[in-house]
Amino acid sequence: MSGKPQDGGAIRTLPELLAHALAMENEAAERYGELADQMETHHKTAVAAIFRRLEKAEKAHLGELDEMCRKVQLPHYAPWDFKWSGSESPEAIAIGRVNYQLSVREAILLAFEHERKAADFYAEIANTAEAADVKELARQFADEEHEHMGWLETYLAECGPDDSRVLEDPDPPLGQE
Amino acid sequence: MEAVTRKYKAKDYKSELKPIWCPGCGDYTVLNALTRALAELGLAPEQVAVVSGIGCSSRIPAYTSVYGFHGVHGRALPVATGLKLARPDLTVLVTGGDGDGFSIGGNHFLHACRRNVDLTYIVMDNQVYGMTKGQASPTTAPDWEGSKLTPEGTGINPFQPLVVGLASGANFVARVSSSDPVNMAQIIVEAIRHPGFSLVQVLSPCVTFRPEQAEWRDIVRTAVVDYTDDAARAARRLMTDDGFNVGKVLYKGERPPFRPEFEKTNGSIAELEARFLL
Amino acid sequence: MTVQSVSLVIAGSGGAGVVTAGSLLLDAAANAGWYALMSRSSGPQIRGGEAAAMLRFATEPIMSHDDSFHLLMAIDWENISRFSAEIPLVEASLIVGDPAHGDAPAALLSGKPRQAALPMSEIAGRIENGRPNMVALGAIAALIGLPPEAMQAVVEKNLRRKGQAAIDASMTAFHAGVAAAADLPAIAKLPAVAAASGPRWSITGNEATGLGVIRGGVRFVAAYPITPATEVLEWLAPSLAKVGGVLVQAEDELASINQIIGASYGGVPAMTATSGPGLSLMIESLGLAVAAEVPVVVVDVMRVGPSTGIATKSEQSDLNIAVYGLHGDAPHIVVAPNSVADCLFTTQWAVHLAEAMQTPTLVLSDQAMGQARAIIPRPAELAFIGQRITATAAVEGERYQRYAVTASGVSPMAIPGTAGLTHTADGLEHNEFGTPSSQASDHHTQMDKRSRKLTQFNYGDHWADIEDAEVGAGDTAIITWGSSTGPAREALRRFSDAGGKARLISVRLIAPVQPEKMAAALKGITRAVVVEQSHSGQFHRMLRAFYDLPRETCSLHQAGPLAFGPGRILEQLNTWRA
Repeated sequence: MSGKPQDGGAIRTLPELLAHALAMENEAAERYGELADQMETHHKTAVAAIFRRLEKAEKAHLGELDEMCRKVQLPHYAPWDFKWSGSESPEAIAIGRVNYQLSVREAILLAFEHERKAADFYAEIANTAEAADVKELARQFADEEHEHMGWLETYLAECGPDDSRVLEDPDPPLGQE
Repeated sequence: MEAVTRKYKAKDYKSELKPIWCPGCGDYTVLNALTRALAELGLAPEQVAVVSGIGCSSRIPAYTSVYGFHGVHGRALPVATGLKLARPDLTVLVTGGDGDGFSIGGNHFLHACRRNVDLTYIVMDNQVYGMTKGQASPTTAPDWEGSKLTPEGTGINPFQPLVVGLASGANFVARVSSSDPVNMAQIIVEAIRHPGFSLVQVLSPCVTFRPEQAEWRDIVRTAVVDYTDDAARAARRLMTDDGFNVGKVLYKGERPPFRPEFEKTNGSIAELEARFLL
Repeated sequence: MTVQSVSLVIAGSGGAGVVTAGSLLLDAAANAGWYALMSRSSGPQIRGGEAAAMLRFATEPIMSHDDSFHLLMAIDWENISRFSAEIPLVEASLIVGDPAHGDAPAALLSGKPRQAALPMSEIAGRIENGRPNMVALGAIAALIGLPPEAMQAVVEKNLRRKGQAAIDASMTAFHAGVAAAADLPAIAKLPAVAAASGPRWSITGNEATGLGVIRGGVRFVAAYPITPATEVLEWLAPSLAKVGGVLVQAEDELASINQIIGASYGGVPAMTATSGPGLSLMIESLGLAVAAEVPVVVVDVMRVGPSTGIATKSEQSDLNIAVYGLHGDAPHIVVAPNSVADCLFTTQWAVHLAEAMQTPTLVLSDQAMGQARAIIPRPAELAFIGQRITATAAVEGERYQRYAVTASGVSPMAIPGTAGLTHTADGLEHNEFGTPSSQASDHHTQMDKRSRKLTQFNYGDHWADIEDAEVGAGDTAIITWGSSTGPAREALRRFSDAGGKARLISVRLIAPVQPEKMAAALKGITRAVVVEQSHSGQFHRMLRAFYDLPRETCSLHQAGPLAFGPGRILEQLNTWRA
């Protein structure tokens, strides 16, 4: 909703890039984790497993990134000050886009969409930044996101056609408090 | 942009407990926005308390790592009032739903606005009672036929929380959408910083009992007008909009908060007793 | 009568100044070195209604009202019949009326009291700014032996702001009343007392309750006005401010109880005061305080129920709701003061109990004590200050357990602001951490723990006042509670003065029940009378449910607003003696 410049276009320095990458990877890891938790809580184990795998992947990525950031003084951004065009970071799946009956296939497609957004975000920086180190690192990050997209494509291929069919839940919702 | 890192991250405000909300529920976003806001404010978790009543959204305190109080249905505001008055040093937030706040707790809502204690009240409005399997709430449209309890709709006018809040004296009024946690976090930061009673209505879809509310993310639009300090103007604006103008503060008042002083002792129990002595 | 005392009623309507006259008389009696008890009864009007001030004076501390009154001083007769049941008159009694208002209504005459006339309005009319109520006071003073100088001092103090002319007019009317009393028949007189036996206080039960609240350590009060509890709050508002506390007027009783729960959760001892209708509204949240283990004190100044009932008059009929009203098994504490003076002790004790056990404590006072003013010996200093066991620091490597299972059942409470101990207090059933749980094992464990807090606590001797005519002697007991204790005490005194041997057991700790202590208290007792002011005998039923009562136990119970006089209780004791 907020009017932002083009994705990543305003990122010029290495600390700025790292701050964005750190925030985005953190959010992605947390979001995948949360979505996995949600699905586990509701015993949607197959979908949960997809999100959990993605969470692990992001966390691994995050470990390397943390290492890089340790040597750099990062600027602080309030959540609404980041230079991505959307409100949330490009890689994070909006919470409202999942639902109780999400299929494995849908989950993979949703994740794919956001991994691509992340890749595009980095690519944009790589294309528009002037500093060589920023360009190089952004390119590297974009490649990593493409790697994730590659995995997702593999998962998708493993998905049988049945995975897209969501069975009706025969049990009605229950009353609580 | 400040060259300082925040002491706390959003996840530092989340507890180990996993929410039991349905996947896709708007309340997840509110938890997300709330924790981001607290991180941005840099408040120590022990200096914050979240108070709630009963309902899906009232589960929030247990999902945070701050002090929490999960009371009975409709009474979150008086609990928070007592806590804040007794402990003005704490940042006290109140979370709940439309039924908890505007039906069973309606009277407290009016008087919390009037009293203007320095609280931030975040109401997750989904126009339905989720925990009891989808009955009409005070904000439900009169012709909603989705509940077995009111199969032909309620036939009664929905409650207008923000207008009522304004008329009752709320010092800060905003409406946000759960489709934008970042904007919500920003508004919550403002609400907490603003002295007095801050009312934040969140359009927070119930994906289970009101699946049609999934469309809200496409219907909501960022309000075009900035906030006013004129309650009458804000009320007029609210009375004429469709309820989907979100993302901005609508009203900021200047009324000083109600804060009775626990004065330093200027008397003693012995003095009180002396008045009974013959 | 064993207790040397004088009892009288001043009655009148709209603007007669009955309540003021009663207060002046009480203060004057205090100046004269006497002890006194004053209660009042009034019609439903906000202003100008019929009112009666019932007073009893003695040279020693007074436990209750007498069975009948020596004197009824009626400034007029307007609607006085409404009080006739509350003003028992006998042949020895004297009714003094103003002939300008006609004859005494028949309703007052069933006990065949003597009658005399005093033209109060006519006498007052002859004095510039003279008022009939001051004439009445003069006559009363002369009849009961109150020295005029005792009144002089009171009038000077009360009318200082109105100036010397007002003081003179009042005292002229007073002395005219004194002179006119020469023509009235005599009633019992009290001797003048050279000096009071020790320091004395003039205090109402509601004020004593307020003081007990502050002494106990309460510094946050939220409340909604309700008769007859409002005076507790009116006394507390300015008094709390003096000792660094706060009183907030809430929008309703649901808000009051929840505000104090919030404040107490924040670490500030908190209370509210209400009456039956308000208590009814608070019940759900009292259960919350039980489950979330938040200490709060709720004072119920009982009035006649059910529903709005009789708001201005007393009854001991909220016992059931106080003990059993909460849904679920909800261990909480119910205590009851048994005199105006005891409102101080019991309320202070209540704060101590609530804080020590982290559970709500109800104090059942009533209109009869709350709105009564008494001259009492200065109460003792008490050691009871609310002491909450708190958790103050995180233990390395351990997650804080708000509801830790302990031997005493009490779990150290972390107060918001304490680092490392954040948690959510919850009305949902929970585990040790406060995490909501629907598992049977958690429910059982937490229920046991909440119950254990109360059963393992050492209440000492305060659970009841046990008074013997002769220690260990006699086989007869009066078992009672609350404001019924006053007349029971006096009955015991009369019984023992006449050579009888009996024991009084006035139960202060209504819940949790103390069967072992009661068994010890009932040792050697074969007969008991249970005295209470409720239509259904709520207290008697409760005793029967939880205690082994003597085989021969009878129940003296009647609905408010009438209280048993000492004579009716004595009658029962004498039946057994005969």
